[in-house]
Amino acid sequence: MDEFDYKELGLKCGLEIHQQLNSETKLFCRCPNELQGTREPDFILRREMRPVLGEMGTYDKAMLTEYEKDLDIIYECYNDVICTYEIDETPPFMCNIEARKIAIKIGLLLNSNIIKEMHVCRKNYLDGSVPCGFQRTMILAKDGYVELENGKKIGIDILCLEEDAARRTETEKKEKTNFFRLDRLGIPLVEVTTKPDINDPDECRECAERLGLLLWSTNVKKVLGSIRQDINVSIKKGTRIEIKGVQKLDWIPLLINHEISRQYNLIQIKEQLTQKDLNKQESIGEIKDISNQLKETSCKFIAKGIKSGKKLYGLNIRGFNKIFGKELMENYRFGTEVSSKVKSISGLKGLIHSDENLKEYGFSEKDIGIIKNTLNVKKEDCFVLLLGKETEINKALHVIENRVKYAFEGVPPETRKALENGNTEFLRELHGGARLYPDTDSQPIINKDQEIQEITTHLPDYPWKIIKKYSTKFETEERVIKELIFSGYLELFETLLEYYPDNPTLIITSLLETATALRRDGKQIENITDEDYIEIFSLLKSKEIGKEAVEDLMVGKADNPELTIEAIKDNLNLESISKDELNDIINSIIDKNFNLLKEQKMRAMGPLMGDAMKQVRGKIDGAIVSKALKNALLEKIKELN
Amino acid sequence: MTEKLKGYKKETKTLLNNKNIGIWDILKVKTDKAAYQGILLPRNEYSESGFIELKLKNNYNVGIKLEEIKDIEKIGKKEAKYKIPEKKFPKTKGFPEITLLGTGGTVASRLDYTTGAVIPAFTPGELFSAVPELAEVCNLETIMVFEILSENMKPQYWQELADEVAKQANSAKDGVMIAHGTDTMGFTSAALSFMLKDLNIPVVFVGSQRSSDRPSSDAPMNLINAATVATSNIAEVVIVMMGSSAHDYGLIHRGTLVRKMHTSYRNTFRTIDDIPLGMVKNRKIRMFKDNYNRRNDKKTIALTDFEEKVALIYSHVGLTNEEIDFYIDKGYKGIVFAGTGLGHVSTRIYDALERALEEEIIVLMTSQTLHGFVGMNVYSTGRELLNLGVIPGRNMIPEVAYVKLGWVLGQTSNFKEAKALLTTNIAGEFIDREIPIAYNYNIDQLLKNNKV
Repeated sequence: MDEFDYKELGLKCGLEIHQQLNSETKLFCRCPNELQGTREPDFILRREMRPVLGEMGTYDKAMLTEYEKDLDIIYECYNDVICTYEIDETPPFMCNIEARKIAIKIGLLLNSNIIKEMHVCRKNYLDGSVPCGFQRTMILAKDGYVELENGKKIGIDILCLEEDAARRTETEKKEKTNFFRLDRLGIPLVEVTTKPDINDPDECRECAERLGLLLWSTNVKKVLGSIRQDINVSIKKGTRIEIKGVQKLDWIPLLINHEISRQYNLIQIKEQLTQKDLNKQESIGEIKDISNQLKETSCKFIAKGIKSGKKLYGLNIRGFNKIFGKELMENYRFGTEVSSKVKSISGLKGLIHSDENLKEYGFSEKDIGIIKNTLNVKKEDCFVLLLGKETEINKALHVIENRVKYAFEGVPPETRKALENGNTEFLRELHGGARLYPDTDSQPIINKDQEIQEITTHLPDYPWKIIKKYSTKFETEERVIKELIFSGYLELFETLLEYYPDNPTLIITSLLETATALRRDGKQIENITDEDYIEIFSLLKSKEIGKEAVEDLMVGKADNPELTIEAIKDNLNLESISKDELNDIINSIIDKNFNLLKEQKMRAMGPLMGDAMKQVRGKIDGAIVSKALKNALLEKIKELN
Repeated sequence: MTEKLKGYKKETKTLLNNKNIGIWDILKVKTDKAAYQGILLPRNEYSESGFIELKLKNNYNVGIKLEEIKDIEKIGKKEAKYKIPEKKFPKTKGFPEITLLGTGGTVASRLDYTTGAVIPAFTPGELFSAVPELAEVCNLETIMVFEILSENMKPQYWQELADEVAKQANSAKDGVMIAHGTDTMGFTSAALSFMLKDLNIPVVFVGSQRSSDRPSSDAPMNLINAATVATSNIAEVVIVMMGSSAHDYGLIHRGTLVRKMHTSYRNTFRTIDDIPLGMVKNRKIRMFKDNYNRRNDKKTIALTDFEEKVALIYSHVGLTNEEIDFYIDKGYKGIVFAGTGLGHVSTRIYDALERALEEEIIVLMTSQTLHGFVGMNVYSTGRELLNLGVIPGRNMIPEVAYVKLGWVLGQTSNFKEAKALLTTNIAGEFIDREIPIAYNYNIDQLLKNNKV
């Protein structure tokens, strides 16, 4: 991809970061703040959502688009961990104080002003992700900033405290039905929105990382998926596009560059169309059912479709030759842009357009001639073919017409979904601000001066300062400390240091590398609690176990969550041994392997060390074993000579 | 001046007044560290004083503490004046003619985004904007009979409503829907059941448990279901509301056997002691029972006289003679007890009961268990109460018994006649037999059963 001159392009980015808080219960009901993973739901509930009239008596465009999708909504529910609040059958209870205090702390760390009287608002969602049709949300803080490494301050517009939406379960996704699981619904969440102060993709990545680190230095949920980031991107003459679902920090620069490319090329298309002096209103030409004419087509899947009763429609788009084929970003043409929107709204799988290689579809020259004749396609035009049910095609035609007409305007405002390859796809229309209105079911919530004062006096250090401090102090890379924070282990690390100050690197290795390796082996390492770790490192401190035993105890606990560390240690026969006992063991090994020693001399050290460790692993430090073995061998060899 | 600063008090009000600021003014407010711009909102009079309430540009509302305000400046005004666009409700030749009577509930509405207030949609055109499917079921006319909160319902309104229904029934109309708040819907449905003699068309009560400004509202489906029942052959007073928490089907409940059973569930209404008359789903009706009145050519008469001096007393362990004496002293003509168990009150209040009956006050016994018949021959207390002259209310729900007694005493002041009327089945309030699935019926069982 070309290098962009971001300044010249007028790049503006903003971030929206969502982070679940780690309060014991949910924000507006007292259900546990616990995801249920893959556990089967106890019952399901089918619901419908309808757009509601807005204040001017009209419907929000984004809501109508959702409604047009005509999707069924099924809620997957549990009998024990959700209540009638989540299924929209009971009004909200008091706002969770613990969650509110965590959010205040975050607000203060972001140098922002805490709102003294919060008003709960409702934000409409029609995709079904919230059973009542709106999310309860409130502004908790305003006008703060986060400082980047180079000293640049990125403004924080607002910090909202709100409920998380239900969790979409993709696994059972059937046609035309959205499945949502209600365990996630109502979990307290903060949404941090920056001002559009970011002018460079790498700066955006750094800002997202700093915000992430800052959030993870407070009592937030520190598991996969508990933090979600969206980026807003716009360039001069373009539009603010919201990109949702950015799962990794490293995706950010790529996503922004691709979005710049998309907007840039859409603006070029607009200029091209303007130059050609085309009439927007007349851009859609003939629209015809050409199933009969193309019954005998040599394109197999079309012929088969028509035979099975599907309709083939063609439409002529005047003056659009070569536009559908124009690449907007990598492997993504204007045609892709139109077809993915068609797919999302009408359910139609895709479309064929004349900028594609039609021979590859199996169309003959004759077929193409018939299509062009019937639709009256001129050299400068483009035609589009749709195959499907009449109702789907009608919806699709509507989508195409709107999108084609918008090509004259430039970049349509949308919410787009981030894809792993750095591209994005249409998710939904950008919601208008009008979908936010006061919640009439709740009273204003006061953040008392005294509460704020109390939290202010206990604010932690900024994580980037901690990273610098620790990496110097423990002579380790900054990356490692960062990893500790992002794996949620920083606090535990600090605690374990108190119990076992001897070897900070060992603690870090156990929490990061060992844990990761065990997880990769399919071990349930979440069975190991903070208390277990404390116990393991206390045993180490009191020399009851050797450092090799740490991994064995972790494995033991992962496999047997019902056992105590003490019991696992006993099972593993990990009582530590004295140096005398060690020497006895070493001597007996040497005796057994006398011949080997005679042949290989010191090269026998390796295999013998292995034998020794088999017997003493975890009971005594390997370094001690190695030293003792070496001494014993040297002595024996001396004797032999 | 009060309206100009609705809800603001004390120092806040003084400050705003001094700056000549009113509700809906666009303000710039500076505090120590922050700057706000937004519209000054009216404030709930029960909210804490010492704050001003703004709707910010991003549409969030916030309250700013008076003490923190350093500077406040008026830069414009934006008053909210909204109306639902009137679309014309399409009239289709040959479709049933339905009248929707309004009582003040909001079956359909749209929002005032600024205050969160719900603005009712009521004219056919407004309803068509909100629930266009109605036009596929019927032709619609609407009449606002009165506008009250459901909890403020009173017998006088029942009379007005019954008169209006009779007028509709005796005109060319094919059915009536009544939009009603759910709190007292069961009382009103019972009242109209007793008051409307020889009813010739369906009278369908409808409401909603989730207000219609939310996308998950039950109102649109309830309206469509109710309209469907209003065009049916069921010439009875019924309540049609959702039958499950899912947006699936509505149940048709007889007006004298139905009760609101949950504070907030969508399927709050349940038929008590029997199964619902039927269900309505996707604009089709399926009956579970056969003993309902059909559409007919009789003239509907509204017998609306009602005795308001009737008490409904919940029997409890602390009930005293004094409490009963109060009603007797105040000239009450009837008392309904929601008795314990099979229909009991404490023997400690026999004195007051004896006095009431001596003064020809009718005492009617029902049970606070809601389900089942009273059985006053089983225990000595029951037998003693019967002996005192207490009338057993059979299976009647306490509220229905209260409405019936008021209506009966409106029809006659003769003690004997009243007693006779009370024990007559007027509007399906009595059941002959309680079928086993009536208690805890569920839809799967109902669908399996033959009509009863």
